[in-house]
Amino acid sequence: MNILLNNSSMIPLYEQLMDQVKNGIIRGDFRENDALPSVRALSARLRISALTVKKAYDRLEEEGFVVTVHGKGTFVAATDRELAVEARRRAVEEEISLAVQRAKTAGLSRDEVREIMEIMLEDCYGND
Amino acid sequence: MVTIEGLKKQYGAFALDVSLEIPAGRITGLVGKNGAGKSTVIKALLGLIRPDGGKVTVFGKEAASLRAADRLKIGTALSNSGFSAYLKLEEVVRILAKFYPDFNETAFRRACEEMGLPFGKQLQHYSTGMKAKLRVLTALCHGAKLLVMDEPTTGLDVEARGEVLDSIRRYAAEHEDCSMLITSHIASDLEGLCDDLYLIHEGKILLHEDTDVLLSEYGLLRVDAETYARLDPRYLLSRRPEGNGYLCFTDQKRYYAENYPGILIEKGGIDDLILMMTSAEGRTLQ
Repeated sequence: MNILLNNSSMIPLYEQLMDQVKNGIIRGDFRENDALPSVRALSARLRISALTVKKAYDRLEEEGFVVTVHGKGTFVAATDRELAVEARRRAVEEEISLAVQRAKTAGLSRDEVREIMEIMLEDCYGND
Repeated sequence: MVTIEGLKKQYGAFALDVSLEIPAGRITGLVGKNGAGKSTVIKALLGLIRPDGGKVTVFGKEAASLRAADRLKIGTALSNSGFSAYLKLEEVVRILAKFYPDFNETAFRRACEEMGLPFGKQLQHYSTGMKAKLRVLTALCHGAKLLVMDEPTTGLDVEARGEVLDSIRRYAAEHEDCSMLITSHIASDLEGLCDDLYLIHEGKILLHEDTDVLLSEYGLLRVDAETYARLDPRYLLSRRPEGNGYLCFTDQKRYYAENYPGILIEKGGIDDLILMMTSAEGRTLQ
């Protein structure tokens, strides 16, 4: 498993870890019933506290991506990949909607918001 | 695994009053400046000093009444290894083998070799770094259930610190139920290792927080005097004057990021925590 964490990012480490495991599952790098590394093994490898790893595993379990079997370890759950992709899409929509509402509150016009979005899209996706 | 309730110890004007708990499988850090009381806590935990009050239990038993069999389950790395300076590492190996029934000689020799500790040299000719490495390897060599390490990285250069920390991490990964108490005043060492942290200052615990929360929620705000004046003080833990403004320490950096767009926020590390919470001018808000 290839996990790279950014220690100076404002995004909490456990969230970064969750995102990367989720991406791995969505991309199909991990299959159903694959074992994830033990909490302390992954913590040693990533040089982060074990509690951080545990927090990420717990949240992933709440969201249905993994299952922890006491005394055995943590395993990739049977996930409906389309459902997972759909969930991500919804999360993105919610965040954009929040930003749009803020823009409105701040008194930005429709076109101004569009312009901001265009610039950001160009920055992120490139100019095609 | 370890419970300390209202531990009191008086040394002249210095008064220690500490409570803390280390559950099984937890790696706990005790941070604070020199003379804050870290080593006194460790001595009380190991039953090396008699507390004036309070209760210290290890493996469910009073620390002072631990038997030899209990003590074999504790691995320690203290400021002095306790080995005579005239001994060679080869002789230390023989002592450890006699001392600990669960001494893992193969693993110990391998670790010593990896860390470049010469077997034929007297310990008095070891460098500061070599001595520090030996202290930690001694703690890790006999399958202890509880590791107590006082400043395990002191005196080490960056590379050696990394090696020592990695060997501790490896031990933790191979012994999942093992608990640890680690002190340090080079706090950044503990960020990637400890699950939670206690900040001790002048004999008292000022703060107990999960490392994870500390790194993600705490932060430093750099503000000019004007911004400071309109800053909601509710989640500021401390501040100190800096330039023509203030440096503020918060445990809710996202609140300030969301409500004060454009404000300068830096991640709060453990070193900032110590600096901002224990310096006289930093504590003006408390």
